[in-house]
Amino acid sequence: MTQRRKWTAIPGVLLLVIGAVVLSAYSGASTSQGNQPTQPINFPHPLHAGAVKDGGLGLNCLYCHNTANQSNDVGMPAVATCMGCHTIVGAARPEIQKLAKYSAEKRPVPWVRIHKVPEYVHFPHVRHINAGVTCQTCHGQVQKMAQVYQYASLNMGWCVNCHVNGYDPKEGQKAAGYDNVPPAGYSGGVPYGTPGSSAGIATSATPPGMTPPRDTSAPSAAPAGSAGGLAVTPSAQRRRARYDCAVCHY
Amino acid sequence: MSNEARPAGVKRRDFLKVLGASSAAVATVGCSSEKVGNLVPYLVHPDDTIAGVSNYYATTCRECAASCGLIAETRDGRVIKLEGNPEHPINRGALCARGQSALQGLYNPDRFRGPMVKENGAWKAIDWNAALTLVGQRLGQARTGGAAANGVFLNQHESGSFPAFLDAWLAGFGMGPHLSVDFEADSAAMEANRAAYGAAWPRLSFKDARLIVSFGADFLEGWGASVPQQLDFADARAKLEGAPRFVYVGPRRSLTGLNADQWIACRPGTELAIANALAGKGSIADAARTSGVAEATLTRLQQELGAAKPALVLAGARGPDALELGQAVAALNATTGAVGTTIRPAEAMPAFEGVARTADVLALVERMRASQVPIAFVRGVNPAYALPAGARFAEAFAKVPFKVSFSLYPDETTELCDLVLPDLHALESWGDADAGRATISMQQPAMDPVFAGTRATADVLIQLAQKDPAVASRYTQKEYRDWLISRFPGGESAFTAALQKGVATGTVAARTAPAAAPAAPARIAPAIDSTRGDYFLVTYFSPTLGDGRGANKPWLQELPDPVSKVLWSSWVEIHPETAAKLGVDRGDIVEVTGPGGTVRAPAYLYLGIRHDTIALAIGQGHGSVAKLDQFEPKHTAAGVIQWGYGRYARGLGARAHDLIAPVTDRAGALALVSTRASVRKTGDSEILVSTEGSARQHGRGIAQAVTVTQLGGLRPAGATDGAAAPAPEAQGAGAAAGEDPNAEGHEEIPGEPSGAFLPGLRSPVAADAQGELGSPTADDQGKNKGMYAPNHWSGMTNRRWAMTIDLARCTGCSACVTACYAENNIPTVGAPWQNATVWADAKAGFNITRSREMNWLRIERYFEGAEQGQFTEDFEARFTPMLCQHCGNAPCEPVCPVYATYHAPDGLNVQVYNRCVGTRYCSNNCPYKVRYFNWFGYGEPDRKQYAFPEPLNWQLNPDVTVRQKGVMEKCSFCVQRIREAETRAKVEGREVAPDEFTTACSQACPSRAIVFGDAADPQWTVAKQVGDRRAYHVFEELNTFTAVVYLKKVNHPGPAAPAGA
Repeated sequence: MTQRRKWTAIPGVLLLVIGAVVLSAYSGASTSQGNQPTQPINFPHPLHAGAVKDGGLGLNCLYCHNTANQSNDVGMPAVATCMGCHTIVGAARPEIQKLAKYSAEKRPVPWVRIHKVPEYVHFPHVRHINAGVTCQTCHGQVQKMAQVYQYASLNMGWCVNCHVNGYDPKEGQKAAGYDNVPPAGYSGGVPYGTPGSSAGIATSATPPGMTPPRDTSAPSAAPAGSAGGLAVTPSAQRRRARYDCAVCHY
Repeated sequence: MSNEARPAGVKRRDFLKVLGASSAAVATVGCSSEKVGNLVPYLVHPDDTIAGVSNYYATTCRECAASCGLIAETRDGRVIKLEGNPEHPINRGALCARGQSALQGLYNPDRFRGPMVKENGAWKAIDWNAALTLVGQRLGQARTGGAAANGVFLNQHESGSFPAFLDAWLAGFGMGPHLSVDFEADSAAMEANRAAYGAAWPRLSFKDARLIVSFGADFLEGWGASVPQQLDFADARAKLEGAPRFVYVGPRRSLTGLNADQWIACRPGTELAIANALAGKGSIADAARTSGVAEATLTRLQQELGAAKPALVLAGARGPDALELGQAVAALNATTGAVGTTIRPAEAMPAFEGVARTADVLALVERMRASQVPIAFVRGVNPAYALPAGARFAEAFAKVPFKVSFSLYPDETTELCDLVLPDLHALESWGDADAGRATISMQQPAMDPVFAGTRATADVLIQLAQKDPAVASRYTQKEYRDWLISRFPGGESAFTAALQKGVATGTVAARTAPAAAPAAPARIAPAIDSTRGDYFLVTYFSPTLGDGRGANKPWLQELPDPVSKVLWSSWVEIHPETAAKLGVDRGDIVEVTGPGGTVRAPAYLYLGIRHDTIALAIGQGHGSVAKLDQFEPKHTAAGVIQWGYGRYARGLGARAHDLIAPVTDRAGALALVSTRASVRKTGDSEILVSTEGSARQHGRGIAQAVTVTQLGGLRPAGATDGAAAPAPEAQGAGAAAGEDPNAEGHEEIPGEPSGAFLPGLRSPVAADAQGELGSPTADDQGKNKGMYAPNHWSGMTNRRWAMTIDLARCTGCSACVTACYAENNIPTVGAPWQNATVWADAKAGFNITRSREMNWLRIERYFEGAEQGQFTEDFEARFTPMLCQHCGNAPCEPVCPVYATYHAPDGLNVQVYNRCVGTRYCSNNCPYKVRYFNWFGYGEPDRKQYAFPEPLNWQLNPDVTVRQKGVMEKCSFCVQRIREAETRAKVEGREVAPDEFTTACSQACPSRAIVFGDAADPQWTVAKQVGDRRAYHVFEELNTFTAVVYLKKVNHPGPAAPAGA
């Protein structure tokens, strides 16, 4: 190889590498999975949403994130909601005093956003929650996170994985980290946990239009170790959702 | 190797270092997570709101005098969309383009942020207390000086309680009643109506008429209440066989004129002669000679008028003898049995009572000039713009020692004032309006004020009064809202209950009419002097910009004029034959000189105007006294007040009304058609900013029409001989053959039989390539066909979203276009600074002249007849709303290299923005040309082309992606509304109900021409309409199998159609 040829080959290869890096960066394959920013108030989810036996209060996620089953947006609790309890409870603790300061100054708490899908994705929480998808399926077991981080990649492949292969409510319950095992024959739809002991929710009965898949023979293709670590269950029990582009992109 | 000479320059090691560092930088930038913001919660969660779910408030539109009912959709505290209130007696759910655009008045970036005072010629901010004290002092001075009675208050005309409230307030300070100004108002028609029927604006019931004759009354535009009139007119036209024929008499075919079945092109100012002759006062032959109309035409009209009872004759020509014309027409109506049937004084619209005449304003200007006016208040009125230059308003206004403006925007009049106390927008403030028939229309704030520094004028007036010991006792309430409640029938509980519906039973306390009858107008327009000038001059209020009020709203600037399709500029309408004589071509700049002055504007060659006439629209030509450069987002400092009515209005087009002298008709309205003008070719030329591609169909059959006599011969699609229309289910494959004469050789296309599972549409939807044909194994029972399989578990293929557009109803008003902008975050692209950076030419509409327009839904206007451009009264205009046809067999889909456009199983042709790489192949392959490309970053705030400068971006619909540079976009059939309805149904545990929701265009349409729904479900209205005998697809021969079905327009030729008129 002559010197000259070498000098064109090396930058050429490097340019290709750079090009690949750039393209992959913008291809959506990038993710902020694992992102764990520091919040203005060190809010302990385990204390509020953790199971009672673990020393938590066992609050339902919807107690604070109360529009998740009514709206596309999940909603953050108003400062007044926090102060509803914390005017009295733990008022002397430093983190609570931070909260009280926000409240007294009539300033909202500027929580740092962790989970975000791009603007061109329309993710309706209400559809998923009412279909029995537990919060933990996508957000991880927040009730055990001392500091919340982004659990799933939120990439398109991750979304489509569930939409194509279907979702088994039992997996959702398992992902939620419930200590009690679903009863035999339970097919999802209604929560089976003891009220107060489960952090996840699943409200509606089999939603209309959400008929079970016809083909029972098709092999379930849920890859092992896919997001959420869902175990593969027979596809007959899996609920599937529409997955053409215009369901989310418009 | 190392001994070889190396080229000089970068060493290998350095090169690699740089390379490594830069690629690391790229990787870091590329991989870093998208900029993530904060999640900001409420302090206290408001009741009845759910984050991300809309709330709806019923209120009243204040964009014109008609006072339509609104439903304001708010999301998280911001109004994002306005729709008509279906419960409202005036507009019954519809809303015009100007009403839609109220949002851009609310969020206008050029609104005043707080009060300002002019000191030594310079404006500076002032706080409210100081401002109120200043006004209080000046009011006190005027009162002690005994001159208060000469103070004036000019208020934008509105009905409801405020006029009475204002008069009482003025009386408290020793001032006379205010002037309720609406420059657009046709005072002549109102005065004639009042004399004949006892009401300024009786309800016009078009559907009871058998013949409609309009003498220049543009009832589909600014003449009166356009929305209710259009609703009634479209209902009349929808009767098809029983529909009234419509004859338009006037020198120029306006939008209303283009909707007429017959045009009688009379010479300007001769309408009265015709009306008199029709009534038998004067001979037809004389009238024909005066008006330049064929005698046979007038005779026929007279006979028709005698036979067709009841008829509806309207007078709206704005010439010197407008009042006499109104009286003559009233007499005609009395003889044709119109009163009580087609003209209903009992259902009159009180919103038009009490309008001050332009003559009164002109008289006031003269009083100002004589230094008789010590103090002046202006609210919502812009006389410095709206009065012709000949009135020399600025000079007279300067002689008023203290002038206060309550304007929201930096308009021409405000610039001349001494103090600005910015009012709240109607969507932020309390009020009411008189909706007629004992109904009060409620006006409530749909959101908190956009700018904290602005205050409702009514509240400011109360605060002023409470600071004044002499008046304070009259105002016990702290706010105007409390004052309204104190007078509301039934008190607070009834008031609160009424707010939910937007209307309440009762009447508002009317304003006591000024004691003295208004003086006769001082400057009456003389009859048109036919020796002066070369051409008759017609000026008219723009259907979109009104009297100039709309010019600061980019949606209205971007809305093509329904007649000329010109936008962002002014134009001169000249007949092609006249233009040929002058040597003028389309786009040539001509100079028009009238008695009031000279304007320059490009020529637009228009078939619908007489040889001897030219026409210009009023509404453009805003400007400031201050010398301001063209607004440029990157170089204009924030906080520079955009005098001249804001960045979107200043410097565009010409002030057409400057051509005429400030003279009025005998009823006191500006005589818009009262003179002749001379036209000179300047030699300059420009590309007309227009969205009109071709005014001709070239045999393409885009806008189809039948005459009413042919209607009986039409067979419903798919009907067999002698059989009644089959149920929609039966109409499947090949049904199109029933209507298409060329369908003899219609081949069975592959996949066609699968259309059977998509009943309702006449055309078979090609079972998509991914379905019947795309499956590698045809016998796998749909397993691998995905969602396109007819029996797919998701049920998506059970629906076929479709639309019908009834061209017999459509008037071309373009309300749907603006509704689409509002719903779908469509950027406006015509502002001068939205061009490419490399082009220095900063002309408004630059992008549009380079075919970069952006309107998902456009109104195509085609002419039939007068093919050679010769003058004839006998040509027809057809309006066709054109949007993505959501083809079953879409040409755009297979050419996309990245599958960014694809076919959803429920019949939508979908554009996936994040997949699009901008090849624009789809647009090239679209026969309907309904795909639009983002040439610049209209949706990106850091670019100069950004279309939504703060706070215009508050209006953006959160359910729709704001598109970025380089992607293609198009009509989505309001897929976000489909998804919303599906989600609602799912949450409620049911299926989507028939006609449960509709698209934005269909919702707004004041003609009710657009119907949207699921054509596969026979319970939806659209499924019933697609089988109509008038149904057709545009470009059916291309086998695109569109989901948009047009219903042919129905023409009503006269008893004996004029042969070669």
